[in-house]
Amino acid sequence: MTTSINETAAQKTAVPSSIRITDDDLYRHSTQYRIWSFTPERLTQIRTEINARAGAKVEEELKNFFASHLDLSPEEKEAVKSKAVPVTTHEELLLVNYFARMILSFAGKMNLPTEVAATAVAFFRRFFLSNSILDFPPKEVFHTSLFFACKTENYFIGVESFAKKAKTTTEAILKHEFKLLESLNFTLMNHHPYKALHGFFLDIQNVLSSRVDMSYMGQVYTNCKRSISDALLTDAVYFYTPPQITLAILLMEDEALMMRYMQLKFGLQVEDEEAKVQSTQDADSQSPITINAAKLLEVIKSCKSVIENKIIPAKDDAVKITAKMHYCQKPMAVVQRMKRQREASSTAATPLPGEADAKKQKT
Amino acid sequence: MIAQTEYSKEKKVGEGTYAVVYVGTKLSNERRIAIKEIKTSGFKDGLDMSAIREVKYLQEMQHVNVIELVDVFMAQKNLNLVLEFLPADLEMIIKDTSILFTQADIKSWLLMTLRGVHHCHRNFILHRDLKPNNLLLAPDGQLKLADFGLARNMGSPQDFLTSNVVTRWYRAPELLFGARHYTGAVDIWSVGIIFAELMLRIPYLPGKDDIDQIDVTFRALGTPTDRDWPEISTFGTYNKIQVYPPPSREELRRRFIAATENALNLMCGMLTMNPHKRFDPTQCLTSEYFVELPEPTTPSELPKLTPK
Repeated sequence: MTTSINETAAQKTAVPSSIRITDDDLYRHSTQYRIWSFTPERLTQIRTEINARAGAKVEEELKNFFASHLDLSPEEKEAVKSKAVPVTTHEELLLVNYFARMILSFAGKMNLPTEVAATAVAFFRRFFLSNSILDFPPKEVFHTSLFFACKTENYFIGVESFAKKAKTTTEAILKHEFKLLESLNFTLMNHHPYKALHGFFLDIQNVLSSRVDMSYMGQVYTNCKRSISDALLTDAVYFYTPPQITLAILLMEDEALMMRYMQLKFGLQVEDEEAKVQSTQDADSQSPITINAAKLLEVIKSCKSVIENKIIPAKDDAVKITAKMHYCQKPMAVVQRMKRQREASSTAATPLPGEADAKKQKT
Repeated sequence: MIAQTEYSKEKKVGEGTYAVVYVGTKLSNERRIAIKEIKTSGFKDGLDMSAIREVKYLQEMQHVNVIELVDVFMAQKNLNLVLEFLPADLEMIIKDTSILFTQADIKSWLLMTLRGVHHCHRNFILHRDLKPNNLLLAPDGQLKLADFGLARNMGSPQDFLTSNVVTRWYRAPELLFGARHYTGAVDIWSVGIIFAELMLRIPYLPGKDDIDQIDVTFRALGTPTDRDWPEISTFGTYNKIQVYPPPSREELRRRFIAATENALNLMCGMLTMNPHKRFDPTQCLTSEYFVELPEPTTPSELPKLTPK
């Protein structure tokens, strides 16, 4: 692709024709870069602030609860205090990830295109960069994100047939649509690494030509596509560009292949003398590339470690966090459960603490 | 959330199926703006697709020849798009018989259109509804691509696209044949037709319906053969259409009386039947037409609508 806007006679006087807008410049203008890319510190700060705000609200509501329920026994008070605890930043992250992962498998079951699923995950995770799970239970935003992603990715499904397929109601799907759009800052364009993967897949075959086996490359492609979906659940999407994520995933898939490719493509210097000679020869025959290969490799490796550092929340975690959320919103439920337990204590075995109410909350 | 009190809505200037447009002012700096209020009631599927597309694509583009989305806000459960205020469009100018315009003026409008299209395509965005009515004119004369309600990403090669796009008279032959895979070439065709319309001052290929559009198009420009467009026989309708010879250069010269050879070359490049061979935006922008005299008119000196 050419990167120049060739200036015409009229413009030549105003703008020097040497000013070229690169693809990197274009990416830097995208909302994905301008609004949805962060430093790790900033991201942590955002999450901490959202959690603190929601936590303070819960504390306030608990205070009001105790003030308006002076008839509670000391045991009941203690029970409420121990159960209705605001969730931590880490717990919020766990639950959001738990549901984000579910979006992927759910989209698979609904046979939705990969890009739609990826966008739904992006929307869902971004939503919780301005809202706490204490204010919006993730399961309420789950279907909304998927339905809205279908629309923004031009894969329209009517809300009624979507609701039928997803076994939910149209009201539930549309309830938070506006809130979602607003939380997304009205930015809807997503650049996913799948396109970059396809590009590298073709370019690797081109650069390494006879040195790669086609059916093996096909396998690499399929594996990488799956790994990309996994990487979309990590914070790598906030720190790195889609092609950087793709290169990191290719590196995880076949390090030898990628090192070879990077030598030939970007003139990466290597220890191996023989390869070095080869690489400079091949690099000459390519169009000049101004990428600092050593720096690129460093970026890709750090991206790789973020991807590898993924969180896979257990179902147990999700159940426990959901129970906490439930008790924060309805402290009275703790008291009622104690009463039920007292009544049932002489008869049968009581359910494990937290389980009974939590189960009702699950999707 | 941005408070709607930042803007005033002064006068309703238009109403479409899914939006009402108001002229207003951004209070903080007195800037004239247009507010497109998206109707949300009555859409059972939630936010309307056209509104979503418009927000999605305009948020990504900042270019002098693409309408600026100044802001977006929610008010009373309505979505409001704050756009730059553009009081006229190219269709009004073409139709206003009291306005005379020169070859240099045409060149200037065409140049600005192509720059806007080039920017969209570089961002992998297809406009899919280019026509004089969607080329808006700013008070300073700059032309801006507007109405991204039909826009979409350039898909992957295997994606299926709908051929039911672009207003009929500006529809490329591959769309007339119902192609499910197409590229930015469909936008270039529309620009080619707009170029012709600017020179003729009347719509170039005004088909009465979709069938007639095929006939009108090929009668004027010749029915493509599988020699210049090998894939053409894969379209079902191709075998049923009337075969017309392509116009000779002399016929084109007679039809576009004031056009230079370079102008005709550019127009023919944009109106090439085979989308693979049709000019891309870079080829258009670097064509000899833009280098030869007269130079394109400076936007601020272009003809304007006469106040009524």
